[in-house]
Amino acid sequence: MKRKYLLIAVIVLLIPSLWLSGFSKAQAADPENCLMCHKYPFMGRIAEDGLRRNYHVDEHLFLNSLHGDVECRGCHTYIKKFPHEPVTETVNCANECHIKPPFAEKNFSHRKIIEVFNSSDHAVKADDSPLMKESKPDCKYCHLNPLYKIADEKNIDYEKTLDRCLNCHKKKGVTEAYLHMTHRLRHKTSRSSQEIVSLCARNCHGNVPLMEKLGATGRDLEVVATYKESIHGKMTALGSEKAADCISCHASSLIHDIYEKDNPKSSIHEDNLQAICKNCHAKINQHFVKIAVHPRIKVPHHPVLFVMSNLVLKAILYGTVFGLMGLLFLETYRRKKDGIHMTLKAGSSWRIQDKGK
Amino acid sequence: MTAAIEKIAGSGQSVKPMPDDYFTHVAGVGSIPRDIYKYVKSNPLGDLPRYSAHIVFQHILIFTTFIALSATGIPLHYNDAFWAPHVIWIFGGIDMAQVIHRIAAYIMIGASVYHILTIAGGTIKKIVKKEFDIRRTQVPLPKDLFDLIHDIKYFLGRAPFRPKMEKFMYKQKLHYLAILWGSFVLIFAGLALLYPEYVALLWPFNPSFVQDLARIMHADEAIMALIVVALWHLSNVHLVPGRFPAQWTVFTGKITREHQLEEHFLEYVRNLAEIPEEREYMRSVLAEMGYAEKEGESG
Repeated sequence: MKRKYLLIAVIVLLIPSLWLSGFSKAQAADPENCLMCHKYPFMGRIAEDGLRRNYHVDEHLFLNSLHGDVECRGCHTYIKKFPHEPVTETVNCANECHIKPPFAEKNFSHRKIIEVFNSSDHAVKADDSPLMKESKPDCKYCHLNPLYKIADEKNIDYEKTLDRCLNCHKKKGVTEAYLHMTHRLRHKTSRSSQEIVSLCARNCHGNVPLMEKLGATGRDLEVVATYKESIHGKMTALGSEKAADCISCHASSLIHDIYEKDNPKSSIHEDNLQAICKNCHAKINQHFVKIAVHPRIKVPHHPVLFVMSNLVLKAILYGTVFGLMGLLFLETYRRKKDGIHMTLKAGSSWRIQDKGK
Repeated sequence: MTAAIEKIAGSGQSVKPMPDDYFTHVAGVGSIPRDIYKYVKSNPLGDLPRYSAHIVFQHILIFTTFIALSATGIPLHYNDAFWAPHVIWIFGGIDMAQVIHRIAAYIMIGASVYHILTIAGGTIKKIVKKEFDIRRTQVPLPKDLFDLIHDIKYFLGRAPFRPKMEKFMYKQKLHYLAILWGSFVLIFAGLALLYPEYVALLWPFNPSFVQDLARIMHADEAIMALIVVALWHLSNVHLVPGRFPAQWTVFTGKITREHQLEEHFLEYVRNLAEIPEEREYMRSVLAEMGYAEKEGESG
């Protein structure tokens, strides 16, 4: 009898521990054992420029990153021997890594999307000034793991998301796999609109002195301020998952094909505007696109709006509020003087009857 | 008579000459002194009818939706304020707040239509019965301006008593007109913001201007409404002396006797004609003061 209880106790204790053990992956994708050295937190050296460089790779962080399944030399292809030479090259995201995506014969590569990016206005061009070259974003500027957050399932547009998958994956296969998986996945990750706006604004488009140095003029300097003034910007600032962020309008489903508005390839070229607005606003006509997405109310753009918002409406507001409150205080002062009490007690607020008696 | 006035005018201090209209004679009741409101008994829940059940219900609909609309709209306008995300969090995120804002807006529009129908129906009914009197409505009349001037004189100590005012005094008429204008602006600007597609359809020449104007007007009118309601309307009806801590008219639709006499004296005189019990009460008060009409004094 006692043995039976012991057995049950062991099983009860064992099941959760087995379950818990499933939480962590056993090992990083490191068949070449790079972590033998790189696991040490203080592994580093003083570089030629006098700065201390740290070469530590946190196994846990790496494993939980999107690239956790890719072995080190999948990206760091220039490493040919062990121990390796000082690294002078940077990672090329267009490399083929040794991962075969589902339903594909070839190794995976970001090459296709990089080609799109390289033709966009964000790509470094030969005739760019040194400051411009330095200011333009690389892949990692936007693509950092912490950017992704758990999104609400009902806010994920499957069609739109699938379009994005097809930028890299083959249509055959991935479509079926995607549709099969999406309704089973509990947690979906997505970049929030707030983060996209913050990325575009933080170091470049919202940095007016830098934009001026790069040759931007006029309305191009106000794009972030005017977007934040718009209903899209206000919704996004409070964490809306529906309102348009920068790339909702400025790029197609390729995401990286961002051009200035005069370029016919641009999603905001006047010929393409209706199509891009229709992504959210279904019933539009050709005049709808005249509505300013970057409205300028606070700056003297339209004289009527400017005078309305800064003078007329303010005068009415302050006049009304101070006039009414002034009257209220005056009234209260005189009624108190006249003998009224705060509360209505025993049938009267004046209580003169009692005094008289 | 002079001795009686001295007794009322108070505690034997300086006796000011009483104005000519100090007494209002009501046939069958007596001569009512202007400051009678200091000497009557009132039920805090209200003694005299002021608003019908329809109006009370409309007001409840309007103020509940007003709170919901402000709470979901103001944080959006001041989205960079530290408190804005916390307020929006209460509603389950900005996308849900948007839905709540729209539902509340439609309820408020419904309540506004309901109000217009009530007022129009009531007015037609009164006209048919030949009971319609423009002085008992919210329509602004020259008298309101004179009442305001008279009241300011009273506030400054230049007049001994408040003016004799109708069911709706200058403050209420001003507020009612402001609400009419504000609702008109908020509803149409809000619809323009909600349906930009139709703005482009109905005003294809410059939809951007309409859209920007709508946004300025919607936000500005909303902020003004909120400030006026939160600061002025609430203190005016609930916090001033005699009304504190709350005036129950909002739910009962009834006004206290002392309030009616102080601010709506002419309406009270009409109440005397319409409500026999009130006539009895006033007679008894006046009898105690020695101002009641003697039996058979007038016809």
